[in-house]
Amino acid sequence: MFGFIRKLYRNTLFRLSLLGALLFVLSLFVALGYIYYATIESELRRVDKANETEIAELQGFYDAAGRDAVAKARLAGLIGPFESMTSLNARQIYHQNGVETVNNLVIARGLPYGDQPYERVYVLRSGSRITGNLAPIPVETTGDGASLLPDESVGDRFTRVEMIYSLPQLNDAAPVDRRARAIRGNIFLNNEPALRILVGRDVENIERTGERVRTAILTSSGLALLLGMLSSFFVSRRFARRVEGFNRLATDVRAGNLDRRAPRNYSEDEMDLLAEHLNAMLDHISRLMQAMRYAGDSVAHDLRTPLTRLRTRLETAAVELGNTDEAMILYEAAGDADQLLSTFDSVLRIARLEAGERRELLKPLDPKPILDDLAELYEPACEDAGLSFEAEIAPKTLILADRGLLSQAVSNLLENAIKYTPRDGTIRLTSRRKRGGSIEISIRDNGPGIPSWDRERVKERFVRLDKSRSLPGSGLGLSLVEAVADLHRAEFVMLDNDDLPSPDKGGDPDRPGLSAALIFPRVKAET
Amino acid sequence: MRILVVEDDSVAAEYVRKGLMEAGHVVDLAPDGDLGLEMARAADYDALILDRMLPKRDGLEILADLREDGDAVPVLILSALGEVDQKVEGLRAGGDDYLAKPYSFTELLARVEAIGRRSDPTAAVTKLKVGGLEMDLLARTVRRDGQKVLLQPREFRLLECLMRNAGRVVTRTMLLEKVWDYHFDPQTNVIDVHISRLRGKIDKEFDEPLLHTVRGAGYRLQI
Repeated sequence: MFGFIRKLYRNTLFRLSLLGALLFVLSLFVALGYIYYATIESELRRVDKANETEIAELQGFYDAAGRDAVAKARLAGLIGPFESMTSLNARQIYHQNGVETVNNLVIARGLPYGDQPYERVYVLRSGSRITGNLAPIPVETTGDGASLLPDESVGDRFTRVEMIYSLPQLNDAAPVDRRARAIRGNIFLNNEPALRILVGRDVENIERTGERVRTAILTSSGLALLLGMLSSFFVSRRFARRVEGFNRLATDVRAGNLDRRAPRNYSEDEMDLLAEHLNAMLDHISRLMQAMRYAGDSVAHDLRTPLTRLRTRLETAAVELGNTDEAMILYEAAGDADQLLSTFDSVLRIARLEAGERRELLKPLDPKPILDDLAELYEPACEDAGLSFEAEIAPKTLILADRGLLSQAVSNLLENAIKYTPRDGTIRLTSRRKRGGSIEISIRDNGPGIPSWDRERVKERFVRLDKSRSLPGSGLGLSLVEAVADLHRAEFVMLDNDDLPSPDKGGDPDRPGLSAALIFPRVKAET
Repeated sequence: MRILVVEDDSVAAEYVRKGLMEAGHVVDLAPDGDLGLEMARAADYDALILDRMLPKRDGLEILADLREDGDAVPVLILSALGEVDQKVEGLRAGGDDYLAKPYSFTELLARVEAIGRRSDPTAAVTKLKVGGLEMDLLARTVRRDGQKVLLQPREFRLLECLMRNAGRVVTRTMLLEKVWDYHFDPQTNVIDVHISRLRGKIDKEFDEPLLHTVRGAGYRLQI
């Protein structure tokens, strides 16, 4: 599971679309938040405003009630027709002093109305509670935690209070707690705080709506996030599949299978266009390869034909001359022509191997019989050259190879060993399974070796080291070995040979020996 | 033998013709594919030498047409394309042997004589005999003048190949292909060393040598 997520996270498109989804969810969250603010919050602010206005109004009445009867009358009008009042206390509205006026007004406004919750809540006190429609004690504040109505004056500051009040129910049912927003402040007399008052409004319904909206915002954002992640997963998987297709194509083409083309869906989207361009590119490469092959074949054909003729002429002339010195010269000339062509053949063969065309010839096989055959073929030649030859070939190994190509590569290495190792030397052909399951086929000798700085260079075409220029050869043998190794995805490694001690053990600096190894990757057993 | 050479290069064809005639064969030439097919159908040849790249009709097509007619005439395919897989393709199409250009004439002669109708190196025989040298293919034994000669398995196959082509030149390349199944030419004289070992076993203690080296060509086993 963890690996799956890591793999998913490596997918560029998944990361991008996930980022897109996250940004989208974030903006959605902000937009919904604005809606919440514009509706619920502004509603609550309106409540606060109304509370403040109400206190100011009460202060006004308090000031006015003590002064004139007109104000009393206006007050009565504001409360409503006297007869409509249900509470006995409310009828005492005409009391003279301002405290009572405010007191009565508070009572009048705070009267329960049927079984509806209070529209407003009031508490009025001066030292002890005077009046109000709230139960004396069980009132909790949810705001700053300060007591609802502190005994000391609160100055001319209005304080906003979020509170829970207890609403008595009809029919003796248990009272219900409801939320309210209130302002607590003072009613002033001659600029001195005289009464402390709390005016509040029931906001239970607004708060409930607010809660529902908040839950809805969180739920919808979460849902959007989940859907966004899911869709990025599917989008990226679809994308990853198509990219995977391209990767497989590239691997196939690199393996020499130039006929493969990217599948197209003709939707003309970017991927389809990429496929089209890739295919066009591959077509072009195929055409070039074909042209090269054709040119190569034509050159081969055109060069070989006159050379065959040259060779035949030389040979015929030599035969006609019989057993003379001139005939020997002609035979040698024919031999030179042969060498010229074999060099040319080798170049073409290496080019073809490098193009990887023949990879389909490879099949899993045990190299032992092949190496045994080579050992048997070369052992007499070694003996003839005064070299001792040893073969140590592991049984029952498996490599992916072509018999002909493997034989040729090993044969080239054996011939090099025979050519360069001085008499009395030793050549050893071994194959063994290495740790990790790869198979190493090595040819070791105790000849002059190849200096480490030249080991890569000698694999290039036509490179011959100074020491070997006097010996016959074209400088293509190791290039061919390298090309065969590449085709087999094997590694061609040359090292000093520390396996066979030099004859004088002391380590003759001129004869470090050479260990040339082909290391074939492990073949997974076919199931 | 009566041999048909289908080759568009007239100079090369002429040399081949001359060489084959000197070796005692009757030779016809065809310069292109259509004519080649016509002539091969009209007369009964002992062997065909067929170039792969020909005007009008390529060598493999001629071969396929002949084989379709049920004509089993031995065919040697010549080509400038020396790759092993093309060789395999040529042999699979029904060719009896394949020779890449440039070839030496002796190689061509040796190979065409080896596949020719009058020799049949693959004939189902159980005994081979050249002078005093006898090979029993079932018992896998070799005797020279009644005296048993002990051979390694590979030496046995080498000798068998030479004995089946007794009297004719067998080239080093032919031996590599037929005895070792290698289609590349080693640079060193590996074959010569094997031959000299074989020679040590079958000729050394006898007055008259049977295994001869043919200069610039190969080996020949004869009395």
